[in-house]
Amino acid sequence: MLSGRHIACVLRTLGGFSVTRCRCSNRRPISRFREGDKMMTYEEICRFLYTEAALLDRREFEEWLELLDDNLSYRMPVRVTRDFGESNDIVDDMTFFDENKRSLTTRVERFRTTSAWAENPHTRTRHFVSNVLVEVNASEDEAQVHSNFLILRSIRDRPEVEQMFGERVDVIRRVDNRLKLVSRTIYPDQTVLSMLNLSIFI
Amino acid sequence: MANRIAFDKTILRGVKEKVQRGLLPQWAFTDEDIYRAEVANIFSKTWNFLGHESEIEKPGDYVTRWIVHDPVLLLRDENGQIQAYLNSCTHRGTKLCTADFGQKKTFTCPYHGWTFNLAGDLIGIVAGNRVYGEEMDRTQWSLRKIPKVSSYCGMIFGSLDEHAEPLEDFLGDMKWYFDIMLGRSDAGMEVRGVPQKWIINTNWKISADNFGGDPYHTAMSHRSTVELGISPKDPMYASYGHQVVLDNGHGINMCTAAKDRADVPPYQGLPPEMWPMFKRNLSAEQLDVFEKTMIMVGNCFPNLSFVSPMHGTGGPDEPLTSFVNFRVWRPVGPTKIEVTSWFMVDKEAPESFKQASYLSYIGSFGPAGTLEQDDAEIWTRVAETTHGTMAQDKDVHYNNALNYLMGLDRVEPDLTWPGPGTAYPTCYLDAISRAFYEHWVDSLLQDADVPTGVL
Ligand code: FES
Ligand SMILES: [Fe+2]
Repeated sequence: MLSGRHIACVLRTLGGFSVTRCRCSNRRPISRFREGDKMMTYEEICRFLYTEAALLDRREFEEWLELLDDNLSYRMPVRVTRDFGESNDIVDDMTFFDENKRSLTTRVERFRTTSAWAENPHTRTRHFVSNVLVEVNASEDEAQVHSNFLILRSIRDRPEVEQMFGERVDVIRRVDNRLKLVSRTIYPDQTVLSMLNLSIFI
Repeated sequence: MANRIAFDKTILRGVKEKVQRGLLPQWAFTDEDIYRAEVANIFSKTWNFLGHESEIEKPGDYVTRWIVHDPVLLLRDENGQIQAYLNSCTHRGTKLCTADFGQKKTFTCPYHGWTFNLAGDLIGIVAGNRVYGEEMDRTQWSLRKIPKVSSYCGMIFGSLDEHAEPLEDFLGDMKWYFDIMLGRSDAGMEVRGVPQKWIINTNWKISADNFGGDPYHTAMSHRSTVELGISPKDPMYASYGHQVVLDNGHGINMCTAAKDRADVPPYQGLPPEMWPMFKRNLSAEQLDVFEKTMIMVGNCFPNLSFVSPMHGTGGPDEPLTSFVNFRVWRPVGPTKIEVTSWFMVDKEAPESFKQASYLSYIGSFGPAGTLEQDDAEIWTRVAETTHGTMAQDKDVHYNNALNYLMGLDRVEPDLTWPGPGTAYPTCYLDAISRAFYEHWVDSLLQDADVPTGVL
């Protein structure tokens, strides 16, 4: 029942919410969350993220690609354990993904071959997206969005569940009246990924 | 090491005899006794890769690593020397340092506060003399050193066996090939960022065997890239070049282009401004081999694999860029490995090349890479089939041996090969795998030469 309400209102109902430092990377402080009424609505943003997650889980990757801006940056740096006092536990120089739309398209095309064994038979995923927070933005047609993700994955007949979780920082922009993902940075919470491969999108 | 485990030698001798005939009993992959024997007789005796010197450049730089189940604190001390300690406090054994990397002058244990310096000395005890008195000799309670630490071409290895042969002897002829991959540039290689780490449910030998001696799998395992037009259609494309069997279970494949190499740039596409450097650092024979090579892929016994291919970063029309990737298959159980994978590039390469090289790695051999993805899936399938009664049968009642016959008694060595080792004129060959398993079984068969009077 969030229809028509803006993030500022939502946050007001939560009361006194303030975050000064994002724990995913101290180089990206979460400033204030957005106020005002001309911007993209919170509902639009959530609908975009949930639609995206559904397309990935349904393996409708071509439609997923259509949500991506042509100049997309899609990165997943490496999480590390640091000593107390050395707060930046993201190593940005090394990544699991450092993609553009072209390379993601190549990955999708690979899934459509007959021999992409990591996804043949394909693995089953559920993307859970939550804790969606929208930052103040310079432009009314662009929003920086933080969300948590949990991906559960089932591979063939294996009873164990593979999982991944963490935070995503997205830039979503309205282009020709459609929302597009312009950039995504994925901050995994594991320093050793418990997945045999990343033949999935996050 | 006083506690080497003796596995039933009759069975092991039977394995050896089979390996020499190009057969490997499938149970050897995941048998629990074999696993324990490997930890005791192989990993506790051999040289294990710990990290690259560029990861700990300055005094106080440290990284934490593992030798199978032994946590290792690897650092550069005040004198610029590389030191490796068991990452465990000498008081009650607490893991001393839990960070992946950092910069420190001292390490303080969180349990009772004992503090150690970069030399491993115990330099601080909470309430010191009041609780221990003068009689406790602090010098007896330094961090325990990994018995042997040594490096070659920036690659730091450690051994838990104080009697281990010198690292250079252990690497043997592999050094000639490491020089090409790691020692060709004046300042050597650098690790970008940190290594990636992930878990695969397989046995360490399966992945080591795959990188070491199995270019044959590429045509099928990686057929998706052929379908995409990224890899050549020719099912023999990974066979061209030489498979080189080296001593001590090591092996390398030096793959070349199909026929004439008109469309393949020399020196794996490394920028021409670097070529004079290669001439300075390599012998004429090394240079000759390197110039023609497209892919170097192999395994340094037991579980340090490497690949240096030329690979595109996006689509079929993109230029092929090379990189150097080393990875350790750390066993954490008979059917589980933790992969630690380092991306390396020549320190002196132009920035634009370094960036393209990194993207090429991420796109192909990082865990999301189009080549890596399928390997891991297939290795889990090998491990998965290995627990059952038939596969585990040690009397070979079911004839459960796997096929390592390729080239056996058929492909003769190429005596004109300019490098060391036994070089065969094709990479579709099980010669390295056979040598790997022969060395592996020999290591398990070694008599326990337990030094008396230890302790
Ligand atoms: S265990 Fe480290 S000080 Fe006691
Ligand atoms: Fe492979």
